[in-house]
Amino acid sequence: MEFRFLPAAAMAVGLLAPLAAQAKGPIKIGFPIPLSGPTAVYGEPILKGAELAVADINAHGGVLGRKLELLPRDSKANPAEAVRLARELIVKNGVQFLAGTLTSAEAPAVSTIAKENHIVFVAPSAKIVALTDKANIHPYIFRAASNTTIEGEAGALIMSKMKGVHTIATIAPDYAYGHDAITAFITAMKRLRPDIKIVDQQWPRLGQANFTPFITAQMSKHPDAVYCDLFAGDFISFVKQATPLGYFKAIHNRLADGGEAGSVDVTRALGNTYPLGIWVNAYDPVLWDGPNQPPAERAFDEKVAKAMKDKYGSSWAIQGYVTISAIAQGIRAAGSTNEAAVSKAMAGMTYPTPLGPRTFDATTHNADAGEYWGPAVRSPKFPFAVIQDPTYYNPQPAGH
Amino acid sequence: MTVSLIAAQFLSGLTTAMFLFLIASGLSLVFGVMRVLNFAHGSFYMIGAYMAWQVVHWMRPEGESFWLAVLAAGAGVAVLGGVVERLLLRHLYGLEELYQLLFTYALVLILGDAAKFIWGTGQLSVRPPPVLDGQFVFPGVTLPYYNLFIMLIGPAIAIAGWLVLSRSSAGRLLRAASYDREMLSALGGNVGLLYTGMFVASSFLAGLAGALITPMESIVPGMDVQVIVQAFIVIVIGGLGSFWGTFWGAVIYGQALSFGILIFPEFSLFSVFALMAAVLMIRPWGLFGRPIR
Repeated sequence: MEFRFLPAAAMAVGLLAPLAAQAKGPIKIGFPIPLSGPTAVYGEPILKGAELAVADINAHGGVLGRKLELLPRDSKANPAEAVRLARELIVKNGVQFLAGTLTSAEAPAVSTIAKENHIVFVAPSAKIVALTDKANIHPYIFRAASNTTIEGEAGALIMSKMKGVHTIATIAPDYAYGHDAITAFITAMKRLRPDIKIVDQQWPRLGQANFTPFITAQMSKHPDAVYCDLFAGDFISFVKQATPLGYFKAIHNRLADGGEAGSVDVTRALGNTYPLGIWVNAYDPVLWDGPNQPPAERAFDEKVAKAMKDKYGSSWAIQGYVTISAIAQGIRAAGSTNEAAVSKAMAGMTYPTPLGPRTFDATTHNADAGEYWGPAVRSPKFPFAVIQDPTYYNPQPAGH
Repeated sequence: MTVSLIAAQFLSGLTTAMFLFLIASGLSLVFGVMRVLNFAHGSFYMIGAYMAWQVVHWMRPEGESFWLAVLAAGAGVAVLGGVVERLLLRHLYGLEELYQLLFTYALVLILGDAAKFIWGTGQLSVRPPPVLDGQFVFPGVTLPYYNLFIMLIGPAIAIAGWLVLSRSSAGRLLRAASYDREMLSALGGNVGLLYTGMFVASSFLAGLAGALITPMESIVPGMDVQVIVQAFIVIVIGGLGSFWGTFWGAVIYGQALSFGILIFPEFSLFSVFALMAAVLMIRPWGLFGRPIR
């Protein structure tokens, strides 16, 4: 077998040599993320947040005396493209870490590349449970995002306290994310309020801009309240069609949406047509109606707004920032960029974020990342709705 | 199932149908007359939506400026369509259909990127015009004024289109061109002008549809591709190139979707795709189309 071993060893040396030469250079982090197509609306602010984190860390001398270097690539929200980019970043650009991807389709695909190549990969926004479940967990995958279990449970906690609710309907996009979140919601609801009945479930396709028949079908079942997981443009289209049909009036605005419908991009688009009183969430409310805004967050959001050259910034930049902060903290804790050492350091690690400390679970590698929830209200300060007294809901806090 | 429930679903289905007809009518006309399957029709629709938003945005505060925005979007997209046809598409008429398909697909990518460059990736929204911002409330059924308006606009366009095609001299020429382009040309018909006019009219309809959808749907990148798939299903069901087929195809699509949701909420689009598959198996040329000789 020697004749096989020798070329392999030579190849290994050949591959390792450039890595050793790089040790003095910057620490490279590959960042595939959608920068074109419909999902770029989230890809761009997440990348902006990641760039801000790199700038902040480098301004403070980098990590272990080395600068961080971000290599962003346009994944087009396509899992195959994200995989190709991840491979290219590893082989051609010699990145030692991967972060990014947006959707619940891209992240699991890139996770397999991280596993093969023993490269730490941190996902900022994919919520699908399967990314880190028993079948798919490996030492190198970490999730900085929230997840569908946290989201569904938070929704159930909120709705279980709504007054006069005996029947609930659900509406969520018909793919893994929507189904996972609704399953988590119903499981938690059955535990919290076994008396509540689920009377209707609608599954419009993702990107289905025509919600009218779904809305009238749901109204015909006369639910007292609705749990919703529509997000972004879909949520906006849904509201625009549901309001004139009297949908919100019929449920007395007793609706909770776990799809970041409280993000500034959504509230701004709907302006004063936003249905007030419904409960919505956001990773970062950005505009706070209430006194509890953490000062670090205010400072962070001002930086984001400046970097994006936009008056209000984005509720998503925080996820890019947190992702890079977690990798930097992992390298510091490990005392080296060795993949196995960093992966080990990150499992169970607590890391600071502008919204307070977060912790990666030691076994599931999920961050205990809840989101800010509250009822949508009109604010005298802004020409659109904001979340009233945003409250951090985290039904699964990590044992610190 | 009560009467009011059936009425509510029927009206939802009809709203869906008439929007789809507005979009699919232009696509169907261009295919019927020019034999060009225009993938970029959805992109024209998207550009129309963005243009409408732009006009409304310029004329803030929002109000009845919506109507001006609708006309401007229709006209703007018509001009865009005219430029595309005159400068680019006309060079491909003699070639295989595949080249035209590739060209219109390239247009999809170019216009998608152009829209992103001009209007960004954020979601935009336009409010319904105040005059239509209300609803009729019957027991168990609510009908927003705007939905009713769309239900009336659809048949109005269908009848106008049919009158032009069947009663006007331009319509006679168009029908002649769809049967035999060379013969018409040999007989002295100006096929080039006819094709440009057809493409401009189709683009106008796309821009109009894009603008009219804005009070009901968010304006987002990707709405082009989302809508073109539905429009294709409509014209496949109705029959490629058949104008009334497109109308009834849209009505059938809307009602199949609406009642499919009611009966099998867990398979929202199943009914529509099942319908398309059934039509393709039984009448591959569509319900109102003619078998290709």
